[in-house]
Amino acid sequence: MAAANPVRRSFALPKLEAAGARFEALGDFQIAVSYRNAADEMATAKRMGLADLSPLPRVGFKGAGTCNWLQSRRLKIPEAPNRAAPQTDGALALRLAREELLLLGGLAEGAPDPGDLCNRWQVARTKPRGYPLPRQETHAWFLVSGEAADSMLAKLCGVDLRPAKFANLTVAQTSLARVNGVICRQDLGATLVYHLLADSASACYLWDCLLDAMTEFQGGPVGLTAVRALPAT
Amino acid sequence: MKIMTCPLNGPRNISEFHCAGEAVLQPDPRDLSDADWADHLFLANNSLGVVREWWCHTPSSYWFIAERHTGSDEILKTYPANEFFRERVDFDAREEGA
Repeated sequence: MAAANPVRRSFALPKLEAAGARFEALGDFQIAVSYRNAADEMATAKRMGLADLSPLPRVGFKGAGTCNWLQSRRLKIPEAPNRAAPQTDGALALRLAREELLLLGGLAEGAPDPGDLCNRWQVARTKPRGYPLPRQETHAWFLVSGEAADSMLAKLCGVDLRPAKFANLTVAQTSLARVNGVICRQDLGATLVYHLLADSASACYLWDCLLDAMTEFQGGPVGLTAVRALPAT
Repeated sequence: MKIMTCPLNGPRNISEFHCAGEAVLQPDPRDLSDADWADHLFLANNSLGVVREWWCHTPSSYWFIAERHTGSDEILKTYPANEFFRERVDFDAREEGA
C-alpha cells in the first residue's frame, strides 16, 4: 500500500535529486522511478545503468539453525556460502556464510516483503532458528546493469567479476571503492546485472564513485521502471 | 598487492584483512598463578618463526586462523578456526573460599 506522504527517503537522496529523479511512493518509502524519457532510460539500463533500490525491502538471518528454519519456511537455500538462489516469489536469497542469509525483496510490483519472515520468526517455536538481522537500515542497495558493468566494477573492486569468471548467482563479499560491500550477480533477461550492498552511511559517496567510474562507458542513473523492464529484454 | 586466501571467500587483497594476534589455546585458569594468567592475557610471545594467528576478513566479518612466518611475512596456510579449536572449553567457577 502506498503511503500518501512517504516518510522514509533513500540514503542517497541528495544525489538522486541532483540527477533529476522522479519519485513515487513505495510503502512508506519514496523510490526513484525514472530520470528521463522511458526509451532513453531503457537504452542506458542496457548499456550501463545505476539504480538505487535502497527503498526495496530486505532482511537477513544469521546463527545456528538459520538454514533449517528458513528451509522449513519453503525458502530455497543456496547450496554453498557466497552463492545466491532466486525464490519463487521473486526474492533473492544470498548465502553469506554457512548459517547467514540475506534476502532481497523481489523487483516486480507487489512482490512480497521478505521482512514478514521476522513475524514468523517471532512466533516460531523451533530452536535454534538463528536470529533476524535488520538489513533495511544498515545497507544501501544499488543495482548496476549493462554489458560493460564488469569492466566498470573492475576499476573499483579487486575481485574478478568478469562474467566468464564470476558466474550468475555468485556472491562476493569484498571491498568496493574502499567500502566494505556485498556484490551479487543476477542477470535480468539478457542484461548483465550486479546488486551492490554497502554501508548505508556511505551511500552518497558510493553513488558518486559509481557514476564517476561509469562516465567512460556513457553510463548513468536509471529508475525502478527501467530495472523492472529488464527481465523482459 | 599482497594476496591472502580467506577460507570462506577465497583469495583477496591483504587490505581486506586485519590481524588480531596470536591464536593460543586458553590454559585452565585454575591451574595458573596470577602472574601466569596475566602473562596469558596481556603478553604476546612475539616469536620469530611460523606463528598461528587470528585473522578477520573485514567485509564478511569472517574469523579464521592463519599460519605466518614472522621473519619473511609469508602466509603459509589459512583455515577455519574450528580446525584449531576443536572442542568447546567450559570451566567451572571455583567455589568461594575453596
